[in-house]
Order: sequence, then structure tokens, then C-alpha cells
Amino acid sequence: MQVFRAYFKVMRASAGAISIYVAIFLGLSVAFSLAEAPQETGDFAQTRTSIAVINRDGEAPLAQGLADYLADTSGIVPYPDNPEKLQDALFFRNVEYIAIIPAGFSTDFLSGRDCAVQKVTVSGSISSRYVDMRIDKYLRTARLRHQYGGDQSHEELAAAIRADLAQETPVTVLPSSATNGSEREFVFYYRYFAYAVLATIMMGVSAIMMAFNKPDLRRRSLCTPIPARSANLQLAAGHTIFALGCWSVLVLFSFVLYGRNLLSSGLVWLYCMNTLAFTVVSASIGFLVGSSVRSNGAQAGAVNVIANGMSFVCGVFVPQSILSKHVLDFGRFLPAYWYVKANDAISGLSRPTASALRPIYGDVLIQLAFAAAIFAVTLLLTKERQAE
Amino acid sequence: MFMHIFGYRLKCLARDREMVFWTLIFPLILATMFHFAFDQLMGRQETFRPIRAAVVGSDAYRQNVAFRQALDALSRPGEGQLIELTVTDDREARRLLEDGAVSGVITVGDPIGLTVSQSGIEQSILKAILDEYAHTYATITGILEEHPTDPAGLLREIGQRRSYTQQISFSSAEPDTILNVFYVLIAMTCLYGGFLGLRNTTDVQADLSPQGARRSVAPTHKLGVVLYDLAAALTISLAEVTVLLAYLVLVLRVNFGNQVWYVLLTCLAGCIAGVSFGAFIGTFARKSEGVKTAILSASSMTMSFLAGLMIVNMKDIIARKAPFLSYINPAALIADAFYSLYVFASHRRFFLNIGLLLLISAAMCTLSFLRLRRDRYASL
Repeated sequence: MQVFRAYFKVMRASAGAISIYVAIFLGLSVAFSLAEAPQETGDFAQTRTSIAVINRDGEAPLAQGLADYLADTSGIVPYPDNPEKLQDALFFRNVEYIAIIPAGFSTDFLSGRDCAVQKVTVSGSISSRYVDMRIDKYLRTARLRHQYGGDQSHEELAAAIRADLAQETPVTVLPSSATNGSEREFVFYYRYFAYAVLATIMMGVSAIMMAFNKPDLRRRSLCTPIPARSANLQLAAGHTIFALGCWSVLVLFSFVLYGRNLLSSGLVWLYCMNTLAFTVVSASIGFLVGSSVRSNGAQAGAVNVIANGMSFVCGVFVPQSILSKHVLDFGRFLPAYWYVKANDAISGLSRPTASALRPIYGDVLIQLAFAAAIFAVTLLLTKERQAE
Repeated sequence: MFMHIFGYRLKCLARDREMVFWTLIFPLILATMFHFAFDQLMGRQETFRPIRAAVVGSDAYRQNVAFRQALDALSRPGEGQLIELTVTDDREARRLLEDGAVSGVITVGDPIGLTVSQSGIEQSILKAILDEYAHTYATITGILEEHPTDPAGLLREIGQRRSYTQQISFSSAEPDTILNVFYVLIAMTCLYGGFLGLRNTTDVQADLSPQGARRSVAPTHKLGVVLYDLAAALTISLAEVTVLLAYLVLVLRVNFGNQVWYVLLTCLAGCIAGVSFGAFIGTFARKSEGVKTAILSASSMTMSFLAGLMIVNMKDIIARKAPFLSYINPAALIADAFYSLYVFASHRRFFLNIGLLLLISAAMCTLSFLRLRRDRYASL
């Protein structure tokens, strides 16, 4: 068992570099899960567009009423009346709509002069239409109430408008799709899982391989009485335990973060299966990298380029649904594509039925086939190198 | 003497292949990946498409003329079209909804109801349309009960569907969030120029490398050597950033506005900041080469993260929650300089960024030179 023991001694030496990916991933997951408010499911939730309202008309009841109405129906983000700050807010989509009620608006409106609420938006976007509708509705109602509703004070007018706008249309949500898959918080965790597990395992496995493949060390171990087969098996056992260790840390952590929700979703075993398949893929890639690179710099380069590259092109960092078709066509030739595809399918399941599960099994098998192919190529490469 | 030291330093740095990988090839690869990943989102105008909805063609629907007219008005093709309406029976409507062919099914009853399969903006708009009908209905009945003086005028006013919003703009630039990712990528590359500055400090300190020892006994002035080295590192770094910039602008078509010289000035200021940052770490962290490299890459990654490399609106979050950070973070300053060139007509904010960058660089350079000068070694 010398090789096996040496394996974990080498591992301990590069533990810092290996655990950094897991640490960053877990840190970010915690941050995100704290930031995301728990979502209600089952009931209809009206979309609240993030908007900024700048009321330059002060205390006038009509302007105040409009601002209050917008505050009730949208997500107000407080911003000062400063064009530069507001421009920033729109550019970074902190708000999608800036409504400016100009000074003297109420007076102009009530005396029938032409006037309008100024808006700064991302032109043509769907959410800007949505807010337009709200503003128009409030002011149209105000116009009707003011012109045809007889004499009333401005406060009475504002109250009458609010009373008219109080009605709500009853909305029924179809029961079969009451839990909306893509909204669950652990979906993101399991998508980014691919990056974390790939980077970590690649780093670890390749570091070990490089250590054992140093020419002098290799020659020395070749002339020891331990048979090569046994040494290789011990290495393989080391890789397996390391990979399973990384996998279980990440899976266990998802239980800690999302425990009840995740367990009650009934999808745990599917996630486990899919991530396990991708763990095997990661180990195979690490194996390949470890037997092709010589220096630490090259190793870090390879790990970064492969992990980031695959994550971008296959839809780990950016959802597959918004990647262009060309990118996806290319991604199909990479294992992470199939991981994400299966992950999305699992997350979209409301009931695991046999017909819904079949494509997921297919994706998992494709990943395993990738792993087998990469292992085979690596073995071929090392065989060739031995002949040198 | 300058040409001699400068020339050899240039060769030294340019032939360090690993360094060239991290400071040039890696950013180029990242740029390509960003491009592929955000391809669909870049530079494309968001467009509003009418929302598909079904209405159950029951007797109640056919008899409710006012409601039918209202829906017709909203689904008339043209500028103001909000919905695309299918009139069908109950079963078919439900099937369309389950297949995702429509976003919602409207059922006329008392009151008018909406059936959806999930929550979302389209469903919310449908609800808002139905709400509006109910609200208008409430307004009319309310007014007619209290002041039934001019019903005809009232109905005419409703038919007008006046709009009370007016689009204005703070700047001529279309807000395109994804641009910031590329701005921060350049910032990251500038900061990676720190690897060159770091290497310089290793090669000039007698206790860190044999080259340093040899150069320390040479009769050239230390300040001269440090400055020439700095110039060489800056040249390489600026050349790399320019290659990246050219790749972004000419190949990937990222919009940097059209003020070329200001953009290049930003790159130069960014490279100065990067190289001095590397020199600063190289002189103050008295640890092994590996640890210094790790400190440098971790800190430049953190700065890029805070400027929005991984999360698009991180920069704005920092600017609102911890504004101080965005004034001392070189990556945020560089990205903000590009951003303000792109968005604002005036250069006030741009020069504020550049000024702060140069100030930070000057501080780091001075500190590291003070640390380097008059070094004496008892034994090497």
C-alpha cells in the first residue's frame, strides 16, 4: 500500500491549490442562498418590475398618489434625483424603468394642459411596456374622475382613483405546474456544481499524476518490487477515493444549504446520479491533463482554460437557453453540455415518470461514454510515451 | 545605457512563455468565451412581442360587447398591439396553455378570470390588461351613479386611450449591460501586467535571484535600473492590452465608443497601475515566488470580481453599498473609465477615474522604490 499512502501525502502538499475552487464555490453558494429570498410556489405572483420614481412635483396629491400607486405595484429602488446615478442604475439593470414626474405636473394635468410623465427605459423592452400600462391607467382614471366626477378636492380625487384601482382579477394557476422547476434555488447550485467539481478534481488528479510521472521518480518506482499493475491499481484507488470525496463534500453541502426543499423535491437521487457521472468525467480529464503536462504553470493554465472554457460554452455559467445555436452545436462535443442538459431536465421535472426519465438516463450514459473515451485516449498516450 | 537595459529587459519578459500565456493568451481566450456565451444578449435591442393569449368563446364572452371591443383594440396589429388573441373552446384553450402556445387563458364570467401555468412578466401583463378593464368598469359605474351628466363624453374619453408617458434619455448610448464584462476583462489584463512588475522586482533584488545579485554589483544607478525595467514591463503590458483591445473591437465587435485616444489613454493608465501593483507586491510581500504570484493573482481576481467580471451588476452594487471601494479598486476605475467614455458626453467622470488610477500607481511606485533603495546585504 506504499503507493496509496504516498498518494495522500502528495495530495496534502497541494491541498491549498485544490481546495481553493471548492472554497470559492461554497462561499459564493452560501452568499447567493442568503441573498435569494425564499420563493413562494403555488400561488400566482405578480411580476414587480424594478423602477425608480423621481417625484419633482412634491406633495401634490395627484403626483404623490401616482408615486404611491407605482410603489404598491412595482419594486421601488430608491435613487436620488441625479442623472448620472440614474444612468448607472439603468445600465446595470438595477432598475428597468425610471419615471420622472416633472414639477408642476399635477397642476398642468388637472387644468387639462398637455403633460406627460417622463420615462427613461431600455427601449422596447417588455417590462417597460408593463410600467407604461400602470402609469397610463392611473392617469386615465384620474382624467375620467376629474372631468366627469364632479367637484372634489384633490385628496378626494386621489382617494377615488385608488378605490377604482383596487379590484384584482382572480388568477388560477394550473395545478400540474404549480411548482415551477426553474425557480428552485438549488438548480443554480447544481449547475455551477459542474465547474467546481471539474476544476477541483482536474487540479487534484493532475497534480498527483505529475508527481508520480516525474522521470526520475518513475524510473525508480519501475525497479521496485511492487508490480506495475498493483501500483497502478493503488493509484486508481487513490483517484477514486479523492473524486468521491470531492463529490460527497459538494453533495452534502447542498443538503446543508437547501436541506428540506431539496429532499422534498424527490429529485435528490437524480441529481446524485448526474453529478456522479460528471465526477467520473472530471477524473478522466484530470487523468489526461496530468499525463500530458510537465510544469505547474502549464497545469494551472490547462485547468483554467478547460474548466472555464467548458463552463462557458456548455451552459454552466450562462444558461443553455440563452446561448446561440452555433455555440450549442459546438458544445455538444463536450461532456459538460450533456451534464447541463440532464440537469435542466431534472430541474424541470414535476413528477419523475418513466418517459421523462429516459432522456436523462441517455445524457448520463453519454457522459460516461465521454469519460471512457478520454480514459482510453490517455492510456494510449501513456503507452506511447513509455515506448520512448 | 537605457537602450541596453531596456532592450534586454524587453527580451527577458517577452520570452517568458508562461507569463505571456497568462497576460495575453488567457485574456484572449476569456474574451472569446465571453463572446460566445453572451452572443445572444449583446447589442441586440430588446423588442416587445405581443403576448399570446386564448379566450374561451363562451356565450358570456359573445354577449359582453364592451369587453370584446376592448380586447379587439388591444390585439389590433400595429404599434400599440399588446396581445395576440385566439378565441377557442374550453378544452382547446387548456391544451394550448399546457403546451405553452399561449401564456394565459381568459374566461369571461363574473368576474372575468385568468388561468396561467406559471408566474411571469407575460402573465402579469395579461392580468394587468384584465385589471384595467375591471378598473375602467368600476370608474364608469362609479361616475355614472354619482354624476350621470355626460355619459357620451365619458365614453368618448375612454375610447381615446391617451398615453401619458414620454421617453427621454440621459445619453445617446444604448444601455448594454454585457459591455461591462468586456471592460472589466481589459481591466483584469491591465492588472495581470502586475506579473511583469513582480518579475522585475525579483530580478533586481540581490537576495531573491542570482540576476538580482549580479545587477546589484553593476555600477549603474539603482533608480535607473528600476525605471528602465519599469518602462520595459509597461511596454510589454501595453502592447498586450492593445492586442486584446484590437481583438475585442475588430474581431468581436465590442463597442468602446469612438474616442480612440481616450480609450488608449485608459489602457495606458491601467497598465501603469498594473505594473506598479506587481512591483508593490514584489517588494512588500517577503515570501516565496509562489506565494507572491498567488497573492497577485488572487488580489487581481478579487478586484475584477468586485468590478463585475463574474456578476454583471456587481460594480453598481459596490458603488451603492460601499462607494469607497470603487474609488480605490483599480479594476473598477479602469472599467468605469471605459463606461463613462461610452455613456457620458462630458469627460469629468472619465478624468476623475484616470486621475485616481495614476494617484494610486504613483503611491505604490514610490513605496516600492523607498523600500528598494539603499538595500545592503551582509552576505549573499
